[in-house]
Amino acid sequence: MSNNIYLNMRKSIILIPVLLLCFSFILQSIHAQSQAPPEWAVCAACHTIGKGKLIGPDLKGVTERRDKAWLYSFIRSSQTMIQNGDPIAVQLFEEYNKIPMPDNNFSDEQIDGILAYIENYDESAAAVMEQPTETPSEDEATYEEAAPGLKGHVKYGPGNTQPTFIIFLILIFVAIIDLVFTKIIKARFIHIIIILVSVFVVAEITYVEAKALGRQEGYSPDQPVWFSHKVHAGQNKIDCLYCHSSATESKSAGIPSVGVCMNCHNVVKNGKKTGTEEIAKVIEAWNSGQPIEWVRVHNLPDHVWFSHAQHVNAGKRECQECHGPVETMDRIVQVESLGMGWCINCHRKSEVQFEENDFYKEYVHFHEEMKAGKRSRVTVDDIGGNNCQTCHY
Amino acid sequence: MKKYWKSLDELKDKSIGSDIEKKPEPEFSIEGLSEVEVSDKLKSNRRDFLKFFGFSVGTAALASSCEMPVRKAIPYLSAPEEVIPGMANYYASTFFDGHDFCPVVVKVRDGRPIKIEGNELSNITHGGTSARIQASVLNLYDSARQQYPLKNGSKANWDTVDQEIKNKLQEIAEKEGKIAILTSTIISPSFLQVIEEFKAQYPSTEVVYYDTISYSAMRMANKQTFGKAEIPSYRFDEAAVIVGFNADFLGSWLSPVEFARQYAKTRELNEEKTTMSKHYQFESYMSLTGSNADIRYSIKPSDEAVILLNLYNRIAEKSDMPTFGVEDSPVSLDQLVDDLMKNQSKSLIVSGTNDIYIQALVNGINFLLANLGGTFNFERSLNTRKGCDQKFNGLIKDMNDGHIDALFMVNVNPIYDHFDSASFELGMKQVGLTVAMSEYHDESAKLASYVCPDSHYLESWSDAEPYTGMFTLGQPAIQTIFDTRQAPESFLKWAGIETDYHTYIQNYWENNLFDKQDQYLTFNDFWNHTLQNGVFDIEVPVAECPMYDFEFIGSNANKLISEKPDGLELVLYEKIGIGTGKMANNPWLQELPDPISKGVWDNYIALSPKYARDNQITQEDVVNINGQLTLPVMYQPGQPYGTAAIAIGYGRVEIGKVANGIGKNVYPLSSMKNGYKQFNIAGITIEKTGDTYPLATTQTHHSMEGRPLVRETVLDSWKEKKNSGNELHEINEKKAVSLYKKPEYEGFHWGLGVDLNKCIGCSACVVACQAENNVAVIGKEEVKNRRIMHWLRIDRYYSLIGPEKPGPDTIYRIEPENPEVVHQPVMCQHCDNAPCENVCPVAATPHSKEGLNQMAYNRCIGTRYCMNNCPYRVRRFNWYRFVDNDKFDFNQNGQLSKMVLNPDVVVRERGVVEKCSFCVQRIQEKKLDAKKQGRLLRDGEIKTACEQACPTNALVFGDMNNSDTRIAQIKADPRTYNLLEELHTLSSVSYLTKVRNKDYVPPVEDWGHDEEHA
Repeated sequence: MSNNIYLNMRKSIILIPVLLLCFSFILQSIHAQSQAPPEWAVCAACHTIGKGKLIGPDLKGVTERRDKAWLYSFIRSSQTMIQNGDPIAVQLFEEYNKIPMPDNNFSDEQIDGILAYIENYDESAAAVMEQPTETPSEDEATYEEAAPGLKGHVKYGPGNTQPTFIIFLILIFVAIIDLVFTKIIKARFIHIIIILVSVFVVAEITYVEAKALGRQEGYSPDQPVWFSHKVHAGQNKIDCLYCHSSATESKSAGIPSVGVCMNCHNVVKNGKKTGTEEIAKVIEAWNSGQPIEWVRVHNLPDHVWFSHAQHVNAGKRECQECHGPVETMDRIVQVESLGMGWCINCHRKSEVQFEENDFYKEYVHFHEEMKAGKRSRVTVDDIGGNNCQTCHY
Repeated sequence: MKKYWKSLDELKDKSIGSDIEKKPEPEFSIEGLSEVEVSDKLKSNRRDFLKFFGFSVGTAALASSCEMPVRKAIPYLSAPEEVIPGMANYYASTFFDGHDFCPVVVKVRDGRPIKIEGNELSNITHGGTSARIQASVLNLYDSARQQYPLKNGSKANWDTVDQEIKNKLQEIAEKEGKIAILTSTIISPSFLQVIEEFKAQYPSTEVVYYDTISYSAMRMANKQTFGKAEIPSYRFDEAAVIVGFNADFLGSWLSPVEFARQYAKTRELNEEKTTMSKHYQFESYMSLTGSNADIRYSIKPSDEAVILLNLYNRIAEKSDMPTFGVEDSPVSLDQLVDDLMKNQSKSLIVSGTNDIYIQALVNGINFLLANLGGTFNFERSLNTRKGCDQKFNGLIKDMNDGHIDALFMVNVNPIYDHFDSASFELGMKQVGLTVAMSEYHDESAKLASYVCPDSHYLESWSDAEPYTGMFTLGQPAIQTIFDTRQAPESFLKWAGIETDYHTYIQNYWENNLFDKQDQYLTFNDFWNHTLQNGVFDIEVPVAECPMYDFEFIGSNANKLISEKPDGLELVLYEKIGIGTGKMANNPWLQELPDPISKGVWDNYIALSPKYARDNQITQEDVVNINGQLTLPVMYQPGQPYGTAAIAIGYGRVEIGKVANGIGKNVYPLSSMKNGYKQFNIAGITIEKTGDTYPLATTQTHHSMEGRPLVRETVLDSWKEKKNSGNELHEINEKKAVSLYKKPEYEGFHWGLGVDLNKCIGCSACVVACQAENNVAVIGKEEVKNRRIMHWLRIDRYYSLIGPEKPGPDTIYRIEPENPEVVHQPVMCQHCDNAPCENVCPVAATPHSKEGLNQMAYNRCIGTRYCMNNCPYRVRRFNWYRFVDNDKFDFNQNGQLSKMVLNPDVVVRERGVVEKCSFCVQRIQEKKLDAKKQGRLLRDGEIKTACEQACPTNALVFGDMNNSDTRIAQIKADPRTYNLLEELHTLSSVSYLTKVRNKDYVPPVEDWGHDEEHA
């Protein structure tokens, strides 16, 4: 009910990344057509010329079907037309599963360029040009590089300190034995120095290891599908929130359902790096009805209550602040420790949206202080963000 | 001065302390060993030390080399539109178990119903709930429910069962045999239509309503006197004088959630509203309602008719009506009659006795006082409790005579809860086709040839019409967990109708209710909105007020007085938690302390302490009742001399791991009189068996060492001086000088207000808190060890007027026959100057910037210093791991029942202290909602679980920093005080002084000298 409105809004927002994704996919084939205006790439994400329906209708002959004024306004804002009850627009909207076409801020010239391109499009010429070329690109090399790691052992924690630990432990023993029994080295201070240094090293390792206990910095597990954030978020510039859409609303950012993948992979069946193999797994999951079992990378202990909505929506944090440069990662890796000290430090430094968000009007006294110039900022810590029961309850 | 006490031991003890002080229990106990042996065993030596040391180092090493488990995240294949992982959805639905009714809102988190709240849109309950309604969500996950259909006791599938039942029905229909549907009251209009359709298919079908607690006499009396066999709508909120005769209308009578709210409305006192109702209660056991009465009379059941007749005569005299000859009332009625005459048309007299003549007499009194149309009316009548005793008796006879060919038992269990179950059982054997349709494989289902298990209400579609013209809808919040099917669906199948019940209800609403409204144009709109709201009321035509027919009572007055019986008079009553026993396999309810006796996990025979002592019976002695069954004795102040009371609903057989073997079934003691089921039985004998049986009660738990915790006054004093009874508050405020700065809070400062005038002790909050905060159930043995985990307890104090200034030698040694009672909910007080905080060696319990006393479980190392230093005794220690522990085989042990856990609250480990958090998860959730929408938080938006469950609005949570909030108003009320405020703990929970509507009673100087027991 009320959800529907919200969902529609969300759909229109999320369609932009879909366009961008399809845009980059088709870009490779399009650049051959020298006459194609750059704006066409946006359209091509959902439309073909003479190759049938994609997400939107086939545009072949559209200039004959519709008059120019209609096309102008529809391209600029189809939703406005639908809301105003234009019969054709409404019919199209219904026909194409109510997926709204995003608004385009095009000038008349740009639209003319697109329309001219559609009118003059030569299918047979394009078909020859669109044959995929088989030259290995730079990206594929990275895939090859990453591939061996897929099957390798996954490491996390501060690194392998076991040998050092054992060596120094043995040193302590040897030193004690020599000190008390064998007495090969006469100068006692040597024993003592060895013992002291070893105890320090052993203790240090124990401390560091103990601190890392239960933490997974550097964790980068194998996933059932070789999914690359670099391709999706980096190259295709899909907004993080398109897939992790509940991050603004819920405590959980959400891993996209297979259905979300299929929004694009219904059409995009060939990956740049992985070919059809990995995408086939997604399609297979969709067809067989078996959801994909992803491996969680960023884990928090059960006694921590963390909310994405608080950070993304209320706190206006960028995803990268905690998850690192995800858009450059083929494999997701946990960049930060996600330890409590790390959280608390950030809460101490981060300012809240004090003036912008009306919620904070409750903090009258702080507002007065700020007005009087006694206080320059309000941090998360100031309003109780570092209380135990902010995260533990 | 009033003397308050929690247990009789405390009253008698000169030191005015609790018995905890006297009898320190060994801290570490091993069964079968004495304390000395245990301490020997626990003495550690060097070898032990080395062993444990080595073990710890080893485990630490092992732990550090372990890899973290791989955690999977499995998203939906195709995400449902309305589900956002991590966010709860709320669905309006309807609770109805055949007896109690409540429109509810179900909280569903990631597909699992985890909490029940009241539906605030309802014009009946206005968002209130009861303990049982709160606990009902746990029954959904009860694996003891019947999981599949049965045929002759072995597993069958629905197709076979349906086919065979249909064939048999066909045969019966052909030979024109009789089919009986024995059902608990049906208030669903759609289900009633289904039955009509079934009747159309099999015309020889007869429907018999059977209620465990029968209100049959009331309906019949209303028919005889008012010409309507209906139960009227009662308006306790319109009454200035309320008189109850053995009617526990706040706990179990008719519609307690509704009445509790109405009642509390009349008890509210503030600057604008300075009047309150006066409540008289005449009763034969200490009921929840009686404990709230301003004036309570402890009477024998056999005296009820005498008192009522006297009352009738006195009122009839004043209006020149004929009176009846009767002996004098055992109690003085002057004051009552005076009050009733002063409040014509604004009083209400109710009786809970299933006796047609008593009910007719009560109607007469109400009529003479012109209450009809004022405090009760027949415009909308109550549709629950339609059970008819005569018809049921007729059915048993017909069955035994072989006149019945098929018997469908829908949501009834007469083998367990009817006193003459033997003849019912014999009758069942005469019936060719017996089909049981209940959720559990209960006592009756075990004897049926087919068992067609009913679904839980959270798995079912339903509608209901609890009052004429007031409808509700119920929708499933989860798919059926087991292979069950709701009863109407089964009847549809057998009637040969292929429509599913969901569509059927829709069709019914479209055809019958859609045109009764003009808000929505299409049925789809109407349906969706009504389903979302859960409630739908229509106007009812204004009915003419019926006239009272004096004829009936005139010709039957002589039947009112029966012979005074010998022996004890016994009252069987319904407990707040267990009720009729239908939900007995629910550990939350079993461990819910009875609001009065504070007993858990048992039923017992309550005796007046004086009577018991006169007969040399002590507490926990096992007595043989009528030679039929044995039960332990519980001393119950307020129990009339020469009477006894036992709770029904216990003694279930093979019904589930929780309820099995708990208590005794006392339904066989009930009887029939004038054709009506009686729960008051005369002529009972009890005999000591010589055994004792330990009872678990929480009455001495968490005692606050006899400090003045409850403050109360009487209405007239309050009118004179608004802080009457609370004079100490001002003194304490003045005295409270501290070296430290008074803590100040930026933004929010959370506080909770408790109005002792509105709190009736119904314990809905206790169960709500348990459900919300994953509070563990610990079982009877651990309750006896005083380790109950409830974060919110309701302290019940008895009180008597004592000497003005009790000296150190004042001996409190009288038997309290009829003490007054106060209910006081106590949860963590979230002191701003908390004694617990500064004794924690690891800073596991610091204070938050919003005034919360926080508990970080992962920091806690279990020293329990905080518990020792907490003057309110609200901290609980996890002596065991309660999850996945077979020793505590309750809801946290079992994959299915763990589904009810709230994922927003941590399940505590062994060895840590826990306590009320002011539902911090709810505070955080609502704060975040406001932040997301960029607006100020609204007062009342955050509701703690206890506040939300409360049917009387006795609890108010809010921001004390903001002067516009409800809590700020409570803080400003002269009735406000804090518990143990003299300790300067600056607690955030405020209590409002209790005000009783009765005359001031001066202190009794020679009080407390009872030579008999000196």
